[in-house]
This record gives sequence, C-alpha cells and structure tokens, in this order.
Amino acid sequence: MRNLFEVIKGFFKGVDRGMREVSTSLIQNELEEYENAFALLTMGFLSGLPSPPTGLVIRLFPHMQREIQVMMSKSSGLFDAFGSTMGKFSVD
Amino acid sequence: MTNIYFFLGKGGVGKTTISSAWAAGLAKIGRKTLLVSLDPAHTLSDALNVMVTGRIKRISDSLDATEIDIDQMIQDYLQDVSTTMKSTYRYLSTLNIDRYFNILKNSPGVEEYAILEGIKEFVSKDEYDIIVFDTPPAGMMVRVLGMPRVSLVWTESLIAMRRKILSRRRMIENVQGRFEADVGGEKVVLTSEEKEDPVMQELVSYKNEMEALRNLFSSQSCKVSIVTMAEELALSETERIIGALKEFYIPVEKVYLNKYMRIENPPEEIIGKIEEQGSVVMRMKEELKGIDIIEIPMLRSSPRGVEVLLALYRDYLKEGEKV
Repeated sequence: MRNLFEVIKGFFKGVDRGMREVSTSLIQNELEEYENAFALLTMGFLSGLPSPPTGLVIRLFPHMQREIQVMMSKSSGLFDAFGSTMGKFSVD
Repeated sequence: MTNIYFFLGKGGVGKTTISSAWAAGLAKIGRKTLLVSLDPAHTLSDALNVMVTGRIKRISDSLDATEIDIDQMIQDYLQDVSTTMKSTYRYLSTLNIDRYFNILKNSPGVEEYAILEGIKEFVSKDEYDIIVFDTPPAGMMVRVLGMPRVSLVWTESLIAMRRKILSRRRMIENVQGRFEADVGGEKVVLTSEEKEDPVMQELVSYKNEMEALRNLFSSQSCKVSIVTMAEELALSETERIIGALKEFYIPVEKVYLNKYMRIENPPEEIIGKIEEQGSVVMRMKEELKGIDIIEIPMLRSSPRGVEVLLALYRDYLKEGEKV
C-alpha cells in the first residue's frame, strides 16, 4: 500500500515538475536571448560591433562564463534560425 | 584635498617642460607634489635629467616624479586577467583564449583605458597636496578625460539589461525553485540577486569609479591647461581641444603660449612668422574669453634639470604673465 502511495506521489511530482518546466520554457528562451544579447554587446569587438569601453569589457570578461556559452550555442544554431524559433513554439 | 593639474597640447609644444616646471615650482614652495608623465613618448626622464620610468622617484624634498610605461601596464593587466580566467574556467581552453587577448591588446581604446587606470591609481594616493600630469598628445588625452562620461552611458544601459536578465531568472526560480544551468559541463546555480551576481557587481563598481572620475575632472580641484604655440594651426587645435572638453563639462583654466618669439628688430626671414604670431595672439584674446593666456618666450636652450625648470617657473609661470 505504502509503495503504491510512493509511486503515485512520484508520478504527480514528475507531472508537477514537467508542468513547471513547460510553463517557464518561454521565459527561459527569453532569458537566453537576453544573455546572448548581453554577451554580443559586451564582446562586440570580436565581430566588429560597437563595443563598450575596453576597460569595462576587460572587467566583465572573467564573469561572463554563462553568457559566452549561451552566445556560442546560439551562434552554432544560426544556420536553422527559423526551425529553432518554430521549435520554441512547438510547431512541428 | 589634492589639487590635480593636467597639461594638454599637441606633440612637441613643450607640455613636459611646462608641467615639470610647474611641479618643481609648487614643490619649492613646500607643497608635496607628484609629477606623473602619462605620455608613451617618455620625455620626463630627459627633462628632469633623472630616470623615473616605471617607478616613483624622489627628485627633491617635496617633489616625486614618475613616468608610466603604458605598454607594460596593458601587458601586465591582460596577463593577470588571462591567467585568472584560465585557472577558473577550464572550458575556456577550448576557446583559445590567448587569441582573444591578443585582439583585446590591440583593440581601440585599450591605451586610453590604461591611462585612465593610471590616473585613478595616482589620484587615490593621499600623501600628495598636488599631482601634476604631463599627458600624451591632446587627441588621446581628450578621449581619456571624456571616457568616464562615455563609459557611464554604456554602463547604465548594461545595468538595465542585466536587471532584465536577473528578473527573468527570478521568475523561473519562483516556479522551479533554484535556477540551475549547465555551465562548462557542470550544473551551476545561477543567482537572481543583484548583490550576488558578479557581473552586476562589476558593473556597479565600475559605474561608481567612473562617476568619481567624472566628478573629479569637472571639479574645482582639477585644473586643465593647454600648452600651445602662437601659430594658426596650433590655435585651431587649441580651440578644438577646448570645444571637446566643454562637451564633457571640463573647463580650461589657462593657455600657455610656449616658444613665443620676442624680437625687437626681427630679421627679414622671420618677419612673416612674427606677424602671424601677433595676429594669432589677437584672435586668441578675442576667442578664448575667460581663459588666461600666458606667454613663455623661446628660450636659448631646452631646459633640463630641476634647477633650470625652477628658474622657468620663477621667471614665467609663477606670476602667470598674461598676454
């Protein structure tokens, strides 16, 4: 009986987690876009974009681990930007 | 409060000589003075006849002097950041980070940044009554003096953007609990708090530093003078410098007309030059209202050594003989 309870509890926990993830997926995408834009702005000197004063870039650089990673993963998916946008809205 | 003096002007007009004489004079009357050359051309050691590159050297009882090595400063600073990053973030080894730093080393603005860092370091020293800066050619120095205001525009925009990032993280936290993300192959908890976010902390501390420098450059304790010559091109340059500084709310206190030729009966070969000098001075008086114009005659030989510089201060700078 207790085992059955645990299984049902686990099932609902999984459903709950899944729903929470679905409900925040668009915010997560938005967050990644902001992080990507932040990295592009601060590291624009690498691609010829207008860039903040070098002193500020040098100071931020060591803390930009997450943003650099997001930027690199975003740029690697640029060959199929349309597909990736459709994917975000679950359009198959 | 420490008084800060900047001597600006185009290359070869005598900034090092005038700023050294000014520093020597103020030190002679007992003000504890530091003379700093920010000019990559390294001429201060020659003017003082003492090697001062890369260290603060005692010149006389109240006068210290130094000449900063900009290239070395840039090299050292980037090396420190590169080492920290390599040891902190293992995944960056795949990015070939040295290549990024080679780009940064040569990117526009890095020299100005190093000079501003130098100024920041020296003005924070509270053991001096006076700090006199001999500066690199005016174009670069105007950008340095304007950099705090320009940096603040960028910093405030980036802070606003960072706040959006942190607010999205907070939204996700509210639903999912702690916000974890994969960073460099490891699960890392990303903070949504401004006080815990290292990027936000850097932005805020940079903003505070830039605000302090912006306020210092526009304050009463910071005095900017221009060293120039009585020539048409030099006058145009001087007006451009004054205009550019005005945009950054930095007033110019004095204009030193260096190498001024006082000749009663000039030989025919230089009559044209003397006439040009006269007309430039007249235009200066009309166009630079509110700024003291001080003439320093062409000397028989270039001043070298503290005693000679002191004589220059006594004879021409002390009373500031106005044109």
